Amino acid sequence: MAKLTLIGGGAMARAVARILVKSGVDVHVYARNTALVEEVEGIVLHDEMGPAVEGASVVFLAVPADSLLEASEQYGEFARGDHVVLTATRGVTDRFMLPHEMIRAMTCVRKIGYLGGPIHARELTTGRQINLVLASRYGEVVNGIRALIQGTPIALHRSADIVGVQVAGAIANVGSIASGIAAALDFGDTARGVLLTHGLVDATRLGVALGASASTFSGLAGVGELIPRHVTSMDRHVDLGRRVAEGEKLANALVACDGHVEGVKTAEEAVKAADRLGLELLLVPAVHDILLGRADPREALEAVLHKSLDLDHAINS
Amino acid sequence: MRAEDQTKILDLLEQRVTATRSQVKAPLSEVLEDSLYHERRRLKEDRGKSPAFKKDSAFWERVQSELRGASESQQTRLIERTVRHYGEEIAGNFDDRVYQVVTRAMPPALGLLLNAVSPIKLAKRLPDLPSIDDAIVVQGEVEQLRTLHEKGTVVLVPTHVSNLDSIVAGYALYRIGLPPFLYGAGLNLFTNPLLSFFMHNLGAYTVDRKKRDPLYKDVLKAYAQLTLEHGYDNIFFPGGTRSRSGAIEKKLKLGLAGCGLQAYIENLKADKARPNLYVVPCTLSFELVLEAETLIDDFLKEVGKARYIIDDDEFTKPSRLYEFMTQLVNLDSKIHVTISRAVDPFGNDVDDAGVSLDPCGRSIDTSRYVLTRDGPGPVYDRDQEYTREVGERIVDAFLRDNVVECTHVTAYAIFSLLREYNPRMNVLRVIRTGGEDDLALADLYRRTESIVGRLRELDADRRIRLGPSVKKSAEDIVADGLKHFSIYHTRPAAQRKGDRVVPTDRTLLLYYQNRLEGYDLDAVGGATSLSDDHRELADQ
Repeated sequence: MAKLTLIGGGAMARAVARILVKSGVDVHVYARNTALVEEVEGIVLHDEMGPAVEGASVVFLAVPADSLLEASEQYGEFARGDHVVLTATRGVTDRFMLPHEMIRAMTCVRKIGYLGGPIHARELTTGRQINLVLASRYGEVVNGIRALIQGTPIALHRSADIVGVQVAGAIANVGSIASGIAAALDFGDTARGVLLTHGLVDATRLGVALGASASTFSGLAGVGELIPRHVTSMDRHVDLGRRVAEGEKLANALVACDGHVEGVKTAEEAVKAADRLGLELLLVPAVHDILLGRADPREALEAVLHKSLDLDHAINS
Repeated sequence: MRAEDQTKILDLLEQRVTATRSQVKAPLSEVLEDSLYHERRRLKEDRGKSPAFKKDSAFWERVQSELRGASESQQTRLIERTVRHYGEEIAGNFDDRVYQVVTRAMPPALGLLLNAVSPIKLAKRLPDLPSIDDAIVVQGEVEQLRTLHEKGTVVLVPTHVSNLDSIVAGYALYRIGLPPFLYGAGLNLFTNPLLSFFMHNLGAYTVDRKKRDPLYKDVLKAYAQLTLEHGYDNIFFPGGTRSRSGAIEKKLKLGLAGCGLQAYIENLKADKARPNLYVVPCTLSFELVLEAETLIDDFLKEVGKARYIIDDDEFTKPSRLYEFMTQLVNLDSKIHVTISRAVDPFGNDVDDAGVSLDPCGRSIDTSRYVLTRDGPGPVYDRDQEYTREVGERIVDAFLRDNVVECTHVTAYAIFSLLREYNPRMNVLRVIRTGGEDDLALADLYRRTESIVGRLRELDADRRIRLGPSVKKSAEDIVADGLKHFSIYHTRPAAQRKGDRVVPTDRTLLLYYQNRLEGYDLDAVGGATSLSDDHRELADQ
């Protein structure tokens, strides 16, 4: 039986553990805080990283963006060249470092896969069909994971563009914040849709400059994710945006959202990265300014809505 | 190479390439017909010029007549014979005794080698043979290279600007006490019997770039890989061919570098005692480049007219080669051979004991990277990805260990002034029509000063290396640069007239300044960025 080790004990870890245990995978978990995962039956809990990882063929780093570097460094002690390493972390760290780059910077592993697309921890537990993008440069990663999830309701869509899928996911969070702000200001559904699309344009610009393929952003990891995101509005990012628009200070809003709102850091780093790369982004800097209290939410978003929405240009420039 | 290894490698070559070809679905007769087609075309174009013309023609005539109505097993035999035919040409005539003598007496042999280009000149000029010994400076990670040669098998991957590169690299290896590495040399370099004799016996094998037959390419790669598996260190030029523009190679041809990984996998499968392969980048920096004029001319040819194979350049003209060597010695000019830190076949750092390290400095068991369900084995897309990473590391090392010489800086400064004086012209126009632009010497000094200032910062960050000829005042750098330009090339790239400097040969200036492309120096120069139309040129 294939052994999969989850590092992290949050909602994502719990959801993944549930699905995989059911399909007969030998699931081991290493987490500092096990309160959430404990309830999953059939998993093996570890209080040390070494034994948790020993003999595993797949390691899933299910931690938020701000602790991925540290978790990777710790895992790096036990990492091996034949491990397949997965993550679904959305967000970046300093200098717009993407999740797969954080893992690379701290470990010897190469066979990294990134799960993107319309993935929400809460939805993973409903038993309905789940559509995921698995981005990896290694065919072995995709084949390995396909074999592992046989019998689960997961439909896996492969992409070789690991950079593009990660940028799309990270910037989509910023788009969600904007969407939350717009909802609070009663902009209406059309405007919210346009704002999300602006986010996608920004993501495309940034992604292409970082070596991603433009077509990724019109696929499941890009457009394909915006639609359910807008409909379900179940994201803590939307919640954060709403609070900020209603006048709450960012620090308070973050506490109230009770979770990792990676889009805040992503917006900051994306603005810096765009400066370095000489790119013009529209929505991301506006959201960043609103979050820092440097711009009036209504004025800033209306200004973005007045700009022309030019996805063609983003793709071809 | 030891004679017994040569025999063994040729046998294995025949088995391995034939086996690989048999696994592919296409019928063997198609493989042979393909070979026949490509080889006939080559021979037709050759029109009897190459020494092997008769032998090759006879060989392919036999293949053709035997292929008609051949059974499957007869076809296999024919493939085997073809592989051997190619393999023997690649391996060349090798004499163990000569190898022993030559490797024991390297320095005089190298002098001979350089002069062997023309046996008559050799006899005439033997007494005042220019010695390249003083001209070559070997620096960088020499100790690590020595250790890795003991711990495993080394693939040395140098930058490539001149046909002298393999000789210079070979000489550098001798100087640091290593035995000769094998390397593939273009068939055109073997036409002189004496030179060919030495090259073969110093480890050169033959590469005929005119052969388009896919089977030939398979044989060549398999040959290089088998020599690595037998523990012979190799030199591969990852740029594929000499840099036409003069710039550091950024797009690499990684086919041969990928052989290192495959050899490592085979070594693991065979449970060899020293399975490890190491990739060691190496930069060769010349103040003057023997073939600069031919190369940059080729670079600037109109689209589609550039030649992949140049067989009539300065290297094949003994008087030019002799003059070059003499001027090098007269100018007390240095050729810097810089050995970079090694990486493993996956692109990881390697410590001084030959152990692969992760980015945090922890040791790695690299055999895990190539594990499949049935033990170590090749996986096509995975291995391509590993090799791509190695390529990135090689390019990084090339940029980092590129040694800046006075000619590069002088040319860069002049060229950036020319660009500034002609802001609306693209590079081609600056070169071909660029106005009345002789420059004030004082401006040139100032520009040189600011460029060197930036280069010093890069050097302090270990992003480039400054050669001794640029660790001077701007005045001295320019004087040195202009002296170099005036002495060897047909026309000086630039010359001083009183307090002015005349850019006489702008294509040559472009060539030498290109060595500093890729470091974002444009801002320093104040000129509009060169990179866009430069890239346009490079793509041609």
